[in-house]
Formats: sequence, C-alpha cells, structure tokens
Amino acid sequence: MLSARQVSFRYPQEGQGLPPTSLDIAPGDLTLITGPSGCGKSTLARCLMGLIPHLYHGELSGEVWLNGYRTSETHMWQLAEKAGMVFQNPAAQMLALTVEDEIIFGLENLGLARTEIKARLETVLDEFDLARMRDRNPQTLSGGEQQKLALAAIMARQPETLILDEPLSMLDTTAAGNLIAYLERFAADGKAVAMFEHRREYLDGVSGLRLLTLEGKSKADDFQQNERTSPSRSSFKVEIEGLCVQLGGRAVFQNLDLSIDSRQIVGVVGRNGVGKTTLLRVLSGLQRHCGIVNVVTGARDQKPDFGMVFQNSDLQLFNASVRDEILYRVQKPDLAYYRWLLAALGLEPYENTPPLLLSEGEKKRLALGLTLMRRPAHGLLLDEPSLGQDSIHKTILVRMLRTLADTGQLVIMTTHDLTLASQADRLILLGPDGKVVANGATDVVLQDQAVWQKTGITLPAWFLRSRHEEAH
Amino acid sequence: MRIGQAGRARQLVLVEDSPLRRADPRTKLFISGAISLVVMMSLDRLAIFLGIYTIFLMWARLLMPAVQQIWRLKWVLLILFAVDWWLISLDHAVIICARLVLLTGVFALFFSTTTTRELGLALEKLWVPYRYAFSLSLAFQSLGLLDDEWRAIREAQSSRGANPETSSFWRFVSRVGDLVSLTVPAIVLTTKRAWAITEASYARGFDSPHRTSYHTLAFSRLDAVLMAGTVALIILLYWRW
Repeated sequence: MLSARQVSFRYPQEGQGLPPTSLDIAPGDLTLITGPSGCGKSTLARCLMGLIPHLYHGELSGEVWLNGYRTSETHMWQLAEKAGMVFQNPAAQMLALTVEDEIIFGLENLGLARTEIKARLETVLDEFDLARMRDRNPQTLSGGEQQKLALAAIMARQPETLILDEPLSMLDTTAAGNLIAYLERFAADGKAVAMFEHRREYLDGVSGLRLLTLEGKSKADDFQQNERTSPSRSSFKVEIEGLCVQLGGRAVFQNLDLSIDSRQIVGVVGRNGVGKTTLLRVLSGLQRHCGIVNVVTGARDQKPDFGMVFQNSDLQLFNASVRDEILYRVQKPDLAYYRWLLAALGLEPYENTPPLLLSEGEKKRLALGLTLMRRPAHGLLLDEPSLGQDSIHKTILVRMLRTLADTGQLVIMTTHDLTLASQADRLILLGPDGKVVANGATDVVLQDQAVWQKTGITLPAWFLRSRHEEAH
Repeated sequence: MRIGQAGRARQLVLVEDSPLRRADPRTKLFISGAISLVVMMSLDRLAIFLGIYTIFLMWARLLMPAVQQIWRLKWVLLILFAVDWWLISLDHAVIICARLVLLTGVFALFFSTTTTRELGLALEKLWVPYRYAFSLSLAFQSLGLLDDEWRAIREAQSSRGANPETSSFWRFVSRVGDLVSLTVPAIVLTTKRAWAITEASYARGFDSPHRTSYHTLAFSRLDAVLMAGTVALIILLYWRW
C-alpha cells in the first residue's frame, strides 16, 4: 500500500518542485500518474520511493507511507525492500559490467545466501529472456534491453510495490507494449504499480487502470504564433548510394541506397539499435562510412550541410546565457531572426538565464534554436526530438519544423513516438538488418501492416484506433 | 564523398589470455604497490628494473596495452623531458620520465587484467568499507563512459563550430580557450550520471547493513609465486645492487 498525504516538495535552488498532492495506491492497483512537463511527476515518484528526503535536501511537507512505513523515518534500504523503482534513463542506472552482476547487486544487498541469489538470478534471467546475454556489458545493450534489465534487477528483489518514472520514453512501441503487459500481470498478482508517464495513450485499454493527473502550468501561452520565415530555397535531393557503416565490428548498413527530396519532414522509424541515429550521423558528417552521400541541386553535387539536434541537449550547452548560447560563433548574426527564434521557441523570458538552469524541454528548444541560428544550408536532423516532451511541446516542435520544410529545407527526425512520426510527410522504416523496408508518404506507410511487421514493430491498438477516428 | 570520424576506443580492454587474469586482484594490488615503491630508486637501479619489468610484461602478454597507454602520454612525456632537461639536467629528465612510464605501465598491468568488480571485491577483503570500495570501483568503471561522453561532446560541439581541432596539436594549443565548450558539458553530464547512479543504487538497497557477497576471492599457487618473486626482486634491487 502506497499513500501520500498532502505531500509537497521544494528544491533549494528552484521554485516549487511538487505542489501538495495526495494519493492512495492499493495492492492490485495499476495507477498511471500523468501531467504536463514540469508539474512534478519525477519529484512525486522520488517522494513515494523515499529518495526524497533521504537523498535530496529541500522543503518537504506532508507524509508518505509505504507498506506501513513512513518514508521520512525509515532507512532507505528498508524502503527498497518494500518497493522498487525504475528510472527514465535505463543506461544511467546500470551499475555493473555484466547483465548477471547487475541483477546480483540488488540481491546481495538483501542479505541473501549464495544459493538463494543463484536461484533468483536464474529465474529472473529466464523470465526476462536475458539468459543469452548474461555476460554482456549492460552499456552495450539496446534501450529496450536495458529497460528490461533494469526491471529484471528490481523484480529479482521481489518488491511489493513498483514505481516507474517515464519508463516508456526510450522504448519503441513493441518494447513499450511488452513492458505494459508485464505490469498488468504484476498488478494482477496483487502488487501495486505507480507509473509516471507522459504517453498515456500507450495504456489505453489496460483493464482496471487508475488515472491521476497532476496539474501544472501550460506553457502554450509562452509561445508566439509568429509567421516570420526564412527565405525560400530551391529544391534539392539527398542521394545516398552504397552506404556501408561498421560499428564495433557489426555492419549497421550494407550497400544502402536512399533518395530524399527537400521541402518535407521525414520520420525515420525502427526498433532500438537498427541504425536510425547512425543514419543522421552519416548525413551530419560525424560518422565514418563508405559509399556516396550527396546533395543534388539541379545538375550540381554538394556536400550535405545539415544542422544536428542531438538527443541529449546537455552535450552542447555551455555559455552563460541563452543569448550567448544562440549567438556563439555566429558571424554577423541577423538579430531580427534571433528575436524571432527566441519568440517562436518560447525562450524570450529566459534570454539572460544560464542554459543549465532551464528545464529539459527548454534546453531541447534552445539546442534547436542554436542549430537554426547557424542557418544550415540544407535543413535539420533531429535525434528523438520528442524525448521527455509533453504534447504541448511536441505541437510547438512540429509547427516549427513545418515552417522550415515550407521554406524549402529538409527535416529528418528519428523517433519512436508514433504520434510524432504520423505528422511527418514521409516515413522511412528501417528493418532489423539496417535495410529500408519502406520509404513513402506517411499515410500510405501507416496503412501497410506488412512493412511494419518487417520492422518488428507492432502498431499498438490505441494508435490504429486514433488513426481510424481521424480518417472518419 | 567520404567522411572521416575521430572517434576511437581508448579504454583498456581486458586481456583475457594474460596469465595475470587468473591471479587474485589483491596480488595485483600488491605488485602494483611494490612497483610504485621502485620508482623512488636511483637511475641505474631503475634502468635494471625497467628491463626486468618489460620482460615480465611480455610474459604476461601485456606489453602492447602498456605501450599504448604510454603512447597516449607522449606529449606530456615530451614536454616534461624538455622542461626538466632545460631547467635541471638530462639525468633528472630521464629519471622523471622513466618513473612516469613505469607508473603508467602499472596502471595498464592492473586494469588490463582486473575488472572493476574484482577491484571492489579486493578492496572489501582488504577491510576498505563497502561504501568506499563500491564508489572507487564505480569511478574506475565510469572512465570508459567518460571517454564516450567526451567524444560525444566533441562531436556535438564540432557540429556547431565550437570544438577545438584536437588532431592538430598547435591549433589545439592556440584555441585552448575553447576548452570551456567541452568541459562545461562534461561536468554537467558527469554530475547527472553520478546522481542517477546514486539513486539507482539506493533504490536497490545499497546502504543495507545485511549485505552478503555472491562472488568470492581465493589465493592460488600463482599468487604465492608472484608475491614471493616481487618481494625477492625488490630486496635484491635495494640491498644487493
């Protein structure tokens, strides 16, 4: 039983982390806790697990009870025996050098005998289909496999309550579907599940699902509908011929041919590890490869000049203010364009704010802004742009990308997010062997079930339903 | 058009076929400690030891990893040698560089044959509190990730025209001010990762007082031979020659 009574928390250096919130989660409940970015979902998850106040300092009020223990007065290790927590980024929570040791770590901390550890290890390896990769380094696994391992390491400890903080954000739809099915079975066994997630549509149809929505300020009003655009460019085509890429001894692409026209948004979709990011890296000039990659404008071949927006915006931000960040190393900056970018990205109020103090969503938009300020000749490459973004931010992102495509640029984005992918003009589906299994108009590709089967992605029922409703 | 990429693996790879891979990590810690004492010797004895140590590395199939580690320090060694020679003497320059080479070789010897889990276990057996043993082994484990992150930051910065050209030494020196574009993201990522690992470990009962250990360590005949040999060599070097 998990219970919060008017619990609120304020981080020392920031504003409100979590407004007063109450909830009760009984054994057998699968509760989805959702809400816009910045409403305090992760903070509430940490409060329920006891990480707040044990690891975080700040102003905590109210109380949280976990299986009869008041979290603020109970040792963290005792709370961890009752509940397990799976975090948003599976790669960041890997502690060991092998899959096996990752699971053993939690079992050793329970004080179990060697034989019991061995028995539980084997059970969990089989249950989660991890036995064949037991000696592999967790950092070499795909995002879906890492999330599975993170869950396995927790489940081996046999907790009565499971808390998951945005567990779907890095998973493709198949891996997400598998995780949700597992959680349904876990709750059916009389255990409690608290799942914090933006993507509530993934849980449509889950029987007995309880929904709790945290309120937060909508940031939609921060954005201006400014229609200023860049000058229109002549059309071009990206031509890829015989592309081969080797990574860690594995052939990601072998003799790949691809042709992509400008003036459109292209979504690249495929399961974890099929080479989506590698394709963007090739186009941005960061990836060693063989074969030809050219931009063809009329009869002329050019080297591609794309701006790349990375999955992790922390890789790029280092200046003292948002203004300095966007204008860094820009020769003779067009200040009118700069002001338009600030307004369009909702960053005007933060012009003099250090980028490191922005929220994750704001950092992502800043990374987009600094890339656009460079005015790349051919367009933008975005790696999982909707990661950690709520629906409002996604709408704003798509609006921005549409503006770019309309001015003649090419926008290519990799994504697991089918809602975002369905807003692209064209979809490229990558199969498990790095081959293109579909390259066509979004509506046509989305209707072709056979090509989705080749990618190993199952279109979830909620997605097909929403497409059907849109069509009618 | 062909496009190059600077990225290449830098972390030490475990040499599975090295005889030292079978040795107890406590023995390797002892050997490493003993070699670290040897660096205090005079140049002639140090030269003898370097010769013996090279043969030992060849036997242990660790010469290449050691040479690769030393090669990565080429600029540091070169500058150190030049400055010491110019300001003090040639003998001093040689001995300082020889000591650095030896210590780098020790690092390669240990981490090419020992996993970070084995290091943590060895420290625990040597009565280092679990909290510190775990943290230290995790810190060494993170070195490889740091390298990956550093490369990712360089790529991300170069894509916005803010990255120093590391392939050219002099351009690197001339644009050393740009290092802030690399160090700030590196500090942010490291801090975030440290927090994520702390949360993940506490959520799995890291601070439990009832912890047991699944893996065990045991000394073998090889360990006895290696330790006796190390002690004998040091005694010979200090008192005989």
